[in-house]
Amino acid sequence: MPRLRDFNAAFYRVLQRAITVLMGLLIVPVTLQIFSRYTELIPRYIWTEEVARFCLIWIIMLGAMIAVRDGTHFDLDILPKARTKQGDAIGRIIVHVAMLVVGVIFLVYGWRFALFGWDQTSELTGLSMLAIHIAWPLTGLACLLFLGEKLLDDVALLRGRDA
Amino acid sequence: MTALDVGLIMFGAFAVLIVLRVPVAFALGLACIPVFFIDDRLTPFLLLNEMLKSYNSFILLAIPFFMLSANLMNSAGVTERLMELARTMVGWFPGGLGHVNVVVSMIFAGISGSSTAEAAGIGGVMIPAMKKQGYDTEFTVALTACAAVMGVIIPPSILMVVWGGVMSVSIGALFLAGVLPGVMIGFSLMAAVYVYAKQRGYPVYARATLREFFCAAWRALLPILTPLIIVGGITGGFFTPTEASVIAVLYALLLGLFVLRTIEWGKVPELLYDSARFAAISLFCIGTASAFGWLLAYFHLPQLFVDAVKSYGGGITSVGFITAIAFLIIGCFIDAIPAIIIVGTVLAPVAKSVGMHPLHFAIVGVISIAFGLVTPPYGLCLMIACALGKTTIAKAFKDTMVLLGLMLLVLGFVILFPDVVLALPRWVMPKFVQ
Repeated sequence: MPRLRDFNAAFYRVLQRAITVLMGLLIVPVTLQIFSRYTELIPRYIWTEEVARFCLIWIIMLGAMIAVRDGTHFDLDILPKARTKQGDAIGRIIVHVAMLVVGVIFLVYGWRFALFGWDQTSELTGLSMLAIHIAWPLTGLACLLFLGEKLLDDVALLRGRDA
Repeated sequence: MTALDVGLIMFGAFAVLIVLRVPVAFALGLACIPVFFIDDRLTPFLLLNEMLKSYNSFILLAIPFFMLSANLMNSAGVTERLMELARTMVGWFPGGLGHVNVVVSMIFAGISGSSTAEAAGIGGVMIPAMKKQGYDTEFTVALTACAAVMGVIIPPSILMVVWGGVMSVSIGALFLAGVLPGVMIGFSLMAAVYVYAKQRGYPVYARATLREFFCAAWRALLPILTPLIIVGGITGGFFTPTEASVIAVLYALLLGLFVLRTIEWGKVPELLYDSARFAAISLFCIGTASAFGWLLAYFHLPQLFVDAVKSYGGGITSVGFITAIAFLIIGCFIDAIPAIIIVGTVLAPVAKSVGMHPLHFAIVGVISIAFGLVTPPYGLCLMIACALGKTTIAKAFKDTMVLLGLMLLVLGFVILFPDVVLALPRWVMPKFVQ
């Protein structure tokens, strides 16, 4: 368990760095697109639009992974809070198992999705679509790791109470 | 399976899951899964494919950029400059600081496309200032939250970018269409501040001199040029909405780092991270919501609504009210972006069938869904304002409902008189508005 926690913490930091860098990079192609149209300083590249779109896809998926670990995906706070820690843990287990189902779908079908991408290249840059499609199984894997840690914590809490 | 069966399974599963606190984006994806397995022609592979198709959009790129520019402007401390300008304009009205709050929100709405950034940025400065002057906390919080709603109605607007991208409506025309309704909401809030101030004896500022006004306007000039650059750039055909959003980022960086020098270089990565993460969470919902909407359309569910409205003989006004009510109800429970995709795609064919103008339909939808930002249980702006004012939603509820009531009157007016929406786009961009 401590190993999983350490690994997840390191993985989470990598995701945080990656999304920050991508967000900074995202500004570049769109700026180039404007400058190339209005100035003679740089040629009119055609790859800028596609690179920006692909950066966005990765930012979305990285952000989704990050939000699984820090529990910041939008949810609805309508049910009354459980009165005991045990009740609270049961509520969280239901949520985390439901999210895990989506994670498993992302991993299993995402793997096929990635292989499907392997056979295709993008229209403008000729990049293998694997580079984009792989984000889905990776998100599935991140869900498994992060939600696994949370579920182990919840179960430990339940057991501690039961004992 | 009939369309009704599919609708019941999907909406039923979604409702149960979100009540159990499963995040909206995941609940939308999960609600599709039974249908993928029940129908032989479908597979969960389609969920992933629909997600990719929805994210692979140059228009949606504008969303992280508008969030980043709003965060940069907040960090650059432009709120104080706007506050000073607003004070010289409306501070001498009864309830001076309340009016200042509304006017700052209106101006900031022209700089930022996000209501939550607006609630956080303006609330952080205005709420303590109003409380210090003796305004009731509940009123202060309610006013700040309701005024922040203008953030997505007055251009630029993240919700309009999503609407335009998903439903193929000109974003420039949408931006223009939002101006008048947004300003009307601002005036309705100022009328409310006036009545509250008279009843409760809230303080006023001394009338500012013309010189003070010009000094304040000079200090606020650079930030308030932003809306002109963005909206002028798009409607003038100089930039696409996405390019305009990048220009807004570059302009905010230039102001914060070099001109006002209020942002330190070391803070930039943090701002990039916060904006990217928040945009990603919002946009992630678009993927699963698109798959949800795609399945509803695959089983012809929107057609059921079209037939129902036809048999009832509804016209533009009744469809306008149906749209508003549907968005207001769903806006109480889920985030604005997935709500647009689910309700918008279901109701768009209905609006088209009665000849409602796409811009009118869009603005009625965007205003109604924006009101969801202050309606509990899921009202993000109200939550942010309550946290900043150190009070609870339950306590701020009454004043919020009073202000929302006035804003609903504006919405009713917009539904009844489409020209409020169409006049400005017709004038500036006639080729986009038939």
